[in-house]
Amino acid sequence: MGFGQEEDSQRCLAAPVKSAVDKFQLLPAFLKVRGLVKQHIDSFNYFINHEMKKIMKANDLLVAHHDPNIYLRYTNIYVESPSVEVDRVSEELKPHFCRLSDRTYAAPVKVDIEYSKANLPNKVEYKRGVLIGRMPIMLRSSHCVLNGKDEEQLARLGECPLDPGGYFIIKGTEKVILIQEQLSKNRIIIDTDSKGRVTASVTSSTHETKSKTVLFMDKEKIYLQLNQFVKPIPILVIMKAMGMESDQEVVQMIGRDPRYGSLLLPSLQECASERIYTQQQALEYLDGKVVYSSSARTETRKESRAKSILLDVFLANVLVKEGKFRPKCIYTAVMLRRMMDAILNTDTFDDKDYVGNKRLELSGQLVSLLFEDLFKTMNSQALERLRRSYEQQNRSSPLEIFPYLTADIITQGLERAISTGNWDLKRFKMHRKGVSQVLSRLSFIGALGHMTRISPQFEKTRKVSGPRALQPSQWGMLCPCDTPEGEACGLTKNLALMTHVTTDEEEGPLVILCYSLGVQDLSSLSAEEIHTPGSYLVIFNGLILGKHEAPKRFANAMRSLRRSGKIGEFVSIYVNDKQHCVYVASDGGRVCRPLVIADKGVSRIKEHHMKELRDGLRTFDDFLRDGLVEYLDVNEENNALIALYEHELDNDESGAEKDDVKRSSITHIEIEPFTILGVVAGLIPYPHHNQSPRNTYQCAMGKQAMGNIAYNQLCRADTLLYLLVYPQRPLLTTKTIELVGYDKLGAGQNATVAVMSYSGYDIEDAIVMNKASLDRGFGRCIAMKRYTVVTESYGPDILDKIVRPRRNVDGSLPQNMQILDEDGLAAPGEIIRNNYVYVNKQTPVDRNISQRGDRKYTDAPVIYKGPEGETIVVDRVILCSDTNDKLTIKFITRHTRRPEVGDKFSSRHGQKGVCGTIVRQEDFPFSERGICPDLIMNPHGFPSRMTIGKMIELLGGKAGVSCGRFHYGSAFGEPSGHADKVEDISKTLVKHGFSYSGKDFLYSGITGYPLQAYIFMGPIYYQKLKHMVLDKIHARAKGPRVTLTRQPTEGRIRHGGLRLGEMERDCLIAYGASMLLFERLMLSSDPYQVQVCRKCGLLGYYNYKLKKSFCSMCKNGENIATMKLPYACKLLFQELQSMNVVPRLTLTEA
Amino acid sequence: GGGGGGGGGASYQRFPKVRIRELRDEYAKFELRETDASVANALRRVMLAEVPTVAIDLVEVEVNSSVLNDEFIAHRLGLVPLTSDAAMAMRFSRDCDACDGDGQCEYCSVEFHLAVRCDADQTLDVTSADLRSTDPKVCPVDVARALDADPTSYDSTAADQRGIIIVKLRRGQELRLRAIARKGIGKDHAKWSPAATVTFMYEPSIHINEEMMETLTLEEKSSWVESSPTKVFDIDPNTQQVVVIDPEAYTYDDEVIKKAEAMGKPGLVEIYPKEDSFIFTVESTGAIKASQLVINAIEVLRQKLDAVRLQEDTDLGELSAHLHGGG
Repeated sequence: MGFGQEEDSQRCLAAPVKSAVDKFQLLPAFLKVRGLVKQHIDSFNYFINHEMKKIMKANDLLVAHHDPNIYLRYTNIYVESPSVEVDRVSEELKPHFCRLSDRTYAAPVKVDIEYSKANLPNKVEYKRGVLIGRMPIMLRSSHCVLNGKDEEQLARLGECPLDPGGYFIIKGTEKVILIQEQLSKNRIIIDTDSKGRVTASVTSSTHETKSKTVLFMDKEKIYLQLNQFVKPIPILVIMKAMGMESDQEVVQMIGRDPRYGSLLLPSLQECASERIYTQQQALEYLDGKVVYSSSARTETRKESRAKSILLDVFLANVLVKEGKFRPKCIYTAVMLRRMMDAILNTDTFDDKDYVGNKRLELSGQLVSLLFEDLFKTMNSQALERLRRSYEQQNRSSPLEIFPYLTADIITQGLERAISTGNWDLKRFKMHRKGVSQVLSRLSFIGALGHMTRISPQFEKTRKVSGPRALQPSQWGMLCPCDTPEGEACGLTKNLALMTHVTTDEEEGPLVILCYSLGVQDLSSLSAEEIHTPGSYLVIFNGLILGKHEAPKRFANAMRSLRRSGKIGEFVSIYVNDKQHCVYVASDGGRVCRPLVIADKGVSRIKEHHMKELRDGLRTFDDFLRDGLVEYLDVNEENNALIALYEHELDNDESGAEKDDVKRSSITHIEIEPFTILGVVAGLIPYPHHNQSPRNTYQCAMGKQAMGNIAYNQLCRADTLLYLLVYPQRPLLTTKTIELVGYDKLGAGQNATVAVMSYSGYDIEDAIVMNKASLDRGFGRCIAMKRYTVVTESYGPDILDKIVRPRRNVDGSLPQNMQILDEDGLAAPGEIIRNNYVYVNKQTPVDRNISQRGDRKYTDAPVIYKGPEGETIVVDRVILCSDTNDKLTIKFITRHTRRPEVGDKFSSRHGQKGVCGTIVRQEDFPFSERGICPDLIMNPHGFPSRMTIGKMIELLGGKAGVSCGRFHYGSAFGEPSGHADKVEDISKTLVKHGFSYSGKDFLYSGITGYPLQAYIFMGPIYYQKLKHMVLDKIHARAKGPRVTLTRQPTEGRIRHGGLRLGEMERDCLIAYGASMLLFERLMLSSDPYQVQVCRKCGLLGYYNYKLKKSFCSMCKNGENIATMKLPYACKLLFQELQSMNVVPRLTLTEA
Repeated sequence: GGGGGGGGGASYQRFPKVRIRELRDEYAKFELRETDASVANALRRVMLAEVPTVAIDLVEVEVNSSVLNDEFIAHRLGLVPLTSDAAMAMRFSRDCDACDGDGQCEYCSVEFHLAVRCDADQTLDVTSADLRSTDPKVCPVDVARALDADPTSYDSTAADQRGIIIVKLRRGQELRLRAIARKGIGKDHAKWSPAATVTFMYEPSIHINEEMMETLTLEEKSSWVESSPTKVFDIDPNTQQVVVIDPEAYTYDDEVIKKAEAMGKPGLVEIYPKEDSFIFTVESTGAIKASQLVINAIEVLRQKLDAVRLQEDTDLGELSAHLHGGG
C-alpha cells in the first residue's frame, strides 16, 4: 500500500473531478461480504463463537450444596458440526435430509470439565467432550455444513445456491427468528408521559439485573419512580441517600445556569420540609417506602434494604465500585440536567420512534438468552438432583456432579422454543410469543423478505400514529415501502438493502482507548468541573466515562482510528452539540450502513479503485481498510452531511451554494440511492414514479406471487408449494433484481398488455385474457401439496400396518383402491381422485399390551379429499422414520392448473385484478404487425392509482423486446444510469417503427374494423398470485349440519351453508318478503316440530309408543298443540330452563 | 366502400380479387380487393381458428425420470407443430366411425413414439427430432424441413438440426412415451392453430397537397418527413419534392398530420384507408404451407356457408329468405 498509493491519491485529489465514479460495483461486493441475511448469520456466529463461552465462564463453577469439596468446573465449551446419533454412532446431518425427514438440524454442544470426587477431595479429574445438549444450527453459519461451499458442492448437498440461509430447521420445518425491535437499553430517554409530565427514564439491563428508573417532574418537583419503592421519592432524598448531602453540590453538578437552580428550587424546598439533611436521614426515609415482597428474606437486614436497592436496582447499568455512589450521582445529575433542558427547550425531547434510539435484537441474541437460561437450569437441576440423591443414599457411594448433567434440558428447551416461538424465560422476565415463524416459501422473494422482517416492540392494537409513521431517520436503514397493510402497518418493518445490524463488541479496550485519548475520569473532578463550558461529556454505551476538553478533536481521532481499522468498523462516534456530549457506541443491535467518505465533497473512491474492484484485486473489506468507505449508524449520520451524487456538485467548483449546501461541508456520499429500499420493494421498476401506497401494496403481493422457489424446489416436501410452469425473468429489471437473484428465480411472466376496455368483463380491475396465450402456457401453475400419514404405534409390536389392497372376486381392485400399489401405498404417477384411498392402513382393534397371539385389525384407510373433476397426480411418495422411529409416509400430489375466470393476477405496481373472462384469440384485437395482446387491462385502473411506473414499464418493456436489451428501472436510477429515461425509450421505440408514445393502431378482432383509439400496448411483467378460484369455490344445496343446533355447518372445509346474514335479512324485511325470510331462516336451516302445552306454555313431547303427545309439566296430554320452530329456538328454551328461567309460549290460533 | 344500406332485394354479391405479392413456404403476403372488412376478417378468423391441423393430443408416459413432470412434457409435445397437409382429409376422432370413438385408428390419428435415454456425461437434449412417427406424412415440421432440404444428409443429432427442444436429460435419466396426434382446430386449443400470424391492414391512400408542400422550405420538409416513425415519405434528392415511397409503411399513427397542423399547415396531407382493399400477411407455423393455409381457410369458409345454405329450407326463417333474395 505504501507510498505509491499515497501519491496516487494525492494526484487524484488535485485533479479536477471530471465524471462521477460509478460506485455501483460496490454493491455486489458489499452483498458478497455482508449479504442480505448476513446480520442473522453474523449474530448467530457471534453467539456460537464468543457469547457461548462468556455464558459458560459466568456460570462455570458448580458446587454441591452439602459439600463444598464436590465441585465441577467448565473449562471450555464448543459446538461441533451438525450430527445425529444413530445407534451410538454419530452421523453427519445435512440440512436437506433434515427437511425431508422431519429432523432438527442441530449440532452437539460439548464441554471440557474438571471435577472432584467426594471421597477423593484432592484429586481432580478432567474430562473432555462432554455432551450437554444439541444446538440448532443456523443454515450457512460458521458451524453449518454449507458454510463456504461453492455452487456445485451445494447442489450435491441438495441445496439451492441462491438460498440465503439464516434460518433453522426444527423437526423438518424451516424457522426464522424474526428481528425484534426494542428501545435501546441503558440510555436516558427524555419524554412526556400520559399525564403530560416530563420524564427521564433509563431501562437498565445488565447480566445480573434488569430495572427501569424513571425521574419525572410533578407540580414543579422532581421525583424518582422505581418499582421497589411504594411511592415516588423526591429526587433530593435520593441524592442525599447517595451521600450528596450538600444542596450546593447538587446544583453544581447539574450546572451553574441560574435557570437550572430555579427549576430545582421546589425540589430542594420539599426535601428540606421533610427535614432530611443527612444520608442517614434519607436512608431511613427510604426504608419506610420500600416495597416488602412476601418472600421471607426481607426481614433479615431491614435497615440496609434501601441502600441495597440504590446500589443494585437504581440505575443498575451504572456500576458502583466499593460502595461509592458518586458515578450514580453524576448520572442522576445528568438525567436531571437533560430533563431541565427539555423543560426549557422543548426541542431537546427524545423521540422514541427515532431509529437511533432503537436496537434490533437478532437471532443470535435471542438464542443466547435461551441458552443462558437453559444452561443455568441444567446446572441447578444437576445440583438439585445431586442433593436429593445424597439425602436418599448413604454417604458411602462416591458423589459426583458430572453424571447429573443431562443433555435433554438444553436440547429440548431450544427445540421447543424455536419451534413454538414462545420465549418464556422466567429468569429474565421475558415472555414473548411469535418470536420465530415458519419461513414462508411461497416465493423466493417472500422467503428473502421474511428474513429481513423486523417485528415490532408494541402490541399491534395501540391506536397511536407516531410509531407507525415513516421516520426520517429510517432513510437508508429501513425500507420505506415494505410494510403490511392493516393493523401492523408501519410497525412491522423491513431492512433496507445495505443495512447491517451490529453485534456486541469488546468494551474494555475501547474504554482504555478513550481515556488515553484525553477523556478525564469524573471521579477526579469536582462537581463544578463536570460542566465546564466547552468540554463535553463522553458517554460510552450509555455510561459516562468522563469529560473531554476538545470533543471535536477526540471524535476525529476516534474516527480516524476506526477508518484505519485500529478499532472495530461498527464503533460509532457521535458528537451531540445540543447535549454537550460525545456518544461512543459499540453495543449490538444498532443499524448502520456503508457510505463513501468524501473530503470536502470529493469522493475518496476514484476510478482506479473501482477498476481494481472490477478486476478482482480489491474487495469491499479493502475499501473499508483503506478508509474509503465506512459504516455510519443512525446517530453518527447526524454528524455527517451526505450527498446523493458526487456529480451533482461538479459544476460549482468554487464551492458556490446550491441547495444551501457548501460542497466543502459534505462528508459522505451515498453508494447508490436505490439502496434505501429493501429487497421486496427493489423488484418494482420505476417505484419513484408511483404513488407511494402502490409500492407498499406490491410489497405485500410480491410475496404471494408464484414462480420458482429454489433450485431444489422439486426435491422439497413442503405442505403447499405453488410453482409456475414457465416463469420468466422480467423484461424491465432493476439492479436489485440482479443482486438478489430474482432474475434466476422469477415469479411472473412478461405479458403483452393492451390498455383498453373490452366486453364489460373487465370492470373493477378485472382482466381479459387471451385463450391462445393460456393454451400456450401463460399463467399455468403447478400446485404441490403434501399429505402425511403416520403409522401409529400403541406399544411394543402393537402397530398400525399397511396391507396390500383386497381384490374383488374377479380379481379387480375396488374403484377407490385403483391407485394403490401392492405395498398398499398409492403409486407415483397415478391420478388421484376424490374419495380414493391412498394408504391402505389397518389399525389393531385391541390395543392391550397383554394380549398375545394374532391381533385383529380393522381397516383404517386414508382417503383423499380433493376437488371433483380435476386431474391431480401423486408426484412422489417419501418414506422415512421420524425421531420417535415411527414410519412416516409423505405423499406429494401435483396439480397443473391453467388460469380460469376468477384467478388473481397482479403487475408489479400494486395493481391486482382477477381474470374476468377468457376470450379466443381471433376475437382479440390485433395490430398490423400481427401482435395480439395476452391480456387486456381496463384503462380505469390508471387515473386513481397513478401508477406511472407501470406505464414506463410498458414502454421500457416494449423498447426492450424491440431492441433485444433488458431495460432497467431501478429506483431513482435515472441520474446514475440505472434506469432508462422515457425519452431514450421513446427514441428506441421510434427507431423500431413504433409510436414514441407506445400506442398502437389496432383492429377489432370481432369486426375487422380499426379501433377508434390508439391503444397503449406492450409487455408488462405479471405475477400470478396464490389466490385461485379452485381453492375457494364453494356452493351447497343440502349437506351436513351441526349436531348441537341442527343448523348447517359453517365454512368451505365442512361443506357448509351460505349464510343469510343480518344485513341480508334486513333487506328482506324491508322488502317485505316474509315468506322468503321464513323459508331461509327456518325451513332451509333447522326446522323442528315441537309439542307445546297451551296451558302451561312449556314444551312437551310426543310418545311414539302411545301415539300421544304429553306435557310433562301438566302431567297430561290434553292441551298439546303441534307447531314448528327453529331447533335453535327450542334449544334456547331448554337452556333457559336449565338456568331457572321459564320461557312460556302463549299460542293463538292461526 | 362497405355494403351500403341496401334494402331487401339488393344484391351484396361482389367479386373480390386477390393479388399475391410474396409467397414463401411459411409466409404469404397478398392483396384482397373489392370486398369489405367482414369478409377479410372472416378469412383471418378462419385461418387462425378453424383450419384443421394435426397435433399431439394424448400422451402415454411409460418412463419419465426427467426433471419435468408428465403434464409438462405432454403440454410441450402438444405445442410441437406437425406437418398437416393431410389434415383436411383426415377425420376428427369424435366423428370417426372406424374406431369406436377412442380416436386411435389410422383414419383419425397418428401415433408417435419417443424413447431417449442419456448415458453420457453431457446433458442430452430431447427434441422434436426424437419423435418417431408411424405415418411419414405427419412429422414435426422442422424435421420435415430438414428432410426436404437434404434427405441424404439428415442427421437428427447435428447441431443445426436439433429441432424443438422438449426436455433435457442428464446421465441416467430416461424418457419413453407414446403419443397420439389427432386432427383438431385452433378454436379448441391453440396447438391446432396453423397460423403464427394472420393480420391485415387497410391500404392507405395518401394525397399530398403539392401546392401547400411547395410553400415549405427544405428544412421544414425534411422535419415533416422525419416526423413519421416509419419511412413513408422521402425527399427526392433531385427535385427536392416530397414523395411517397412506401404507403404501406404507414401505421395510421397520424404523426404527419399532427406535424402539419403544428407547422400551421393543416391539410398538407390527406390520408385515409381504402375501405375495400386489404393487405394480408400470413405466417404459418409450418404445419401447412402459407398458401395452402389461405386455400384451406377459403374451403372451410365455403363449407360453413354451405352448411348455412343447406339449412335454408329448414328453420332459418327470415334469414333464409334474406339469403335467398341475396344469393
